[in-house]
Amino acid sequence: MDQVSAPDAVALHDVRKTYQVGEPVHALDGISLSIPRGSYTAVMGPSGSGKSTLMNLVGCLDTPTEGTIDVDGEEVTSMTDRERTRIRGDEVGFVFQTFNLMPRLTALENVALPLVFKGVDRAERTERATDVLERVGLGDRLDHRPNELSGGQRQRVAIARALVSDPALVLADEPTGNLDSETGEQIMELFADIHADGNTILMVTHERHIAEHAERIVHMLDGEIERVEELGTVGVAAEDAE
Amino acid sequence: MKPRENLRISWRAIRGHKLRSTLTTLGVIIGIAAVITFVTLGASLQADIVGQVGGEAASDIFVWAGPEGQDQGPGFGAEPVFTTDDANRIAGFEDVAAAIPYTITRSDRLTFGGDSVARGEAVRATTPAYLTGEQFRAGSNFALGSNEAVLTPNAASMFERNVSVGDRIGVVRGDETIQLSVVGILNTSDSLSAFEGFQGTPRIYTAPEAVGETQFLYLIVAASAPTAVESVKESVETYLQDESPASDSLPGDYVFKLQTSDELLDQIREILNLLTGFVTGIALISLIVGSIGIANIMLVSVTERTREIGIMKAVGAQRRDILTLFLTEAVILGVIGAIVGAVLGAVAGFAGTQFIGFDAYVFPLEWALIAAAVGILVGIVAGLYPAWNAAKTDPIDALRYE
Repeated sequence: MDQVSAPDAVALHDVRKTYQVGEPVHALDGISLSIPRGSYTAVMGPSGSGKSTLMNLVGCLDTPTEGTIDVDGEEVTSMTDRERTRIRGDEVGFVFQTFNLMPRLTALENVALPLVFKGVDRAERTERATDVLERVGLGDRLDHRPNELSGGQRQRVAIARALVSDPALVLADEPTGNLDSETGEQIMELFADIHADGNTILMVTHERHIAEHAERIVHMLDGEIERVEELGTVGVAAEDAE
Repeated sequence: MKPRENLRISWRAIRGHKLRSTLTTLGVIIGIAAVITFVTLGASLQADIVGQVGGEAASDIFVWAGPEGQDQGPGFGAEPVFTTDDANRIAGFEDVAAAIPYTITRSDRLTFGGDSVARGEAVRATTPAYLTGEQFRAGSNFALGSNEAVLTPNAASMFERNVSVGDRIGVVRGDETIQLSVVGILNTSDSLSAFEGFQGTPRIYTAPEAVGETQFLYLIVAASAPTAVESVKESVETYLQDESPASDSLPGDYVFKLQTSDELLDQIREILNLLTGFVTGIALISLIVGSIGIANIMLVSVTERTREIGIMKAVGAQRRDILTLFLTEAVILGVIGAIVGAVLGAVAGFAGTQFIGFDAYVFPLEWALIAAAVGILVGIVAGLYPAWNAAKTDPIDALRYE
């Protein structure tokens, strides 16, 4: 997979998103950005800068008004809702600020949930989910429900769920926002680990010290990319809009 | 998503809200149970009555003269137009086994010992053939042309002292008192023919000569075989209209009515079906209410689980998956309601037949199957809109939903 010719995990080409609330609001105003495979990118910006909209578009939850988005080399903007849902299940793993676990399901079942909708049979689901849960350090909490787990443990379950279908991209939206700083730091170490395992990570945050764990920081302001700050040693290609 | 997973997840959601699911299902349970109970009672009542009327009377034809156009059961509005001569002539027809005249003799009072009771229609004048084949508790049949009488058990016990064979009872009519000597007491008080209704009132059978009857309200013609009933009916009708003096004494708008046991049964069935249908219709309303309950609870459930729907969609659940999940949940509720309701209805129906005292208990199996089908249907109809609502939930909004 990790050939030179491998496509970017995500590539945005002059993407615009306009909401029609009374007068048009440009949530995104001509964004071009590529996230190479294996990279670790943070998106920072004040509220209203368009970072949530960017996440929704990259995560195939929403479609742009103009421009195109490629996920793992596949153009998703012209896809039907059904195909986009499939891409979302196969290629994107979500980690949310509020964890978003199913309250009635155990950790194992939560992690296995994406595989249920892909029609993977039960034995394989259990095996794969157990595997990832062990990787995030929850091998002894398989049968616990979310309300029996601490905040940090819940976020680990969510990360395991994001990884279970071996996606092209892990999307994390303020993953430490609901955690104390010590637990937050442990979660960031886990992200560093899974990045080291070769996963691509795109993280939205408004905290500088969290963003600094990434290789580069994309600063957004008023629906545009203000600047791209390179932190890591790995060279990444980023084209500005204009 | 595989059907088994679908079932598992839906079942888990139902179990997650035990009380709510139970209450929801209760609506359907009551609806289906009510329908099954009433249908069971109706079918059992029908079997009970048909059992009483049918049986040995399969080749009997009931004849009377009644007002034209009115169809209110055997003997309705009958006038005494027949004579023993009519009966004797008909008895000689081809394929006729017996022709029995039967009439109700008016009386003011009946006396026994020093006791006297007011009874207007207890005394029946007929021929001994009417009681042929009946079981006697004591004594035997009366003889033609005598003043002998046979009593039903409830007639024998209507005086202060029980009447027994060998006793004499008096029939008081105006100034006149006719003495009858009791020669037999029947085994049962049940009605012996369609002319005696469904309830066995106290009856005293005696010969026409004893009470001075020459005109009769009814004729009962027994064909020699059930297959001969139709042809016998035709020849009797022709005779009555063309030859019998009865046609001359017929009041203005009166016609001869001939009804076979089969026709009588059909008439009873028709009335009972109408009645059962009516009550079942009312029961169906409760089923509709029950299905509205399911729809309502599913809508609440969808709103409540918006966030879960968002999560499932974010991790790759298709619209169809969500639709199927919620629909399955509604159908499971409907089916459980139907099954429990059918069992409950069968039990209630059985208890009802025992309580009312029907001889027959008929469980309408086809209705149990219909109930199960209705349960599924109710689930689908009630669950469709909420499930559709759930399926079109926007994951972005759903995930933000608190």
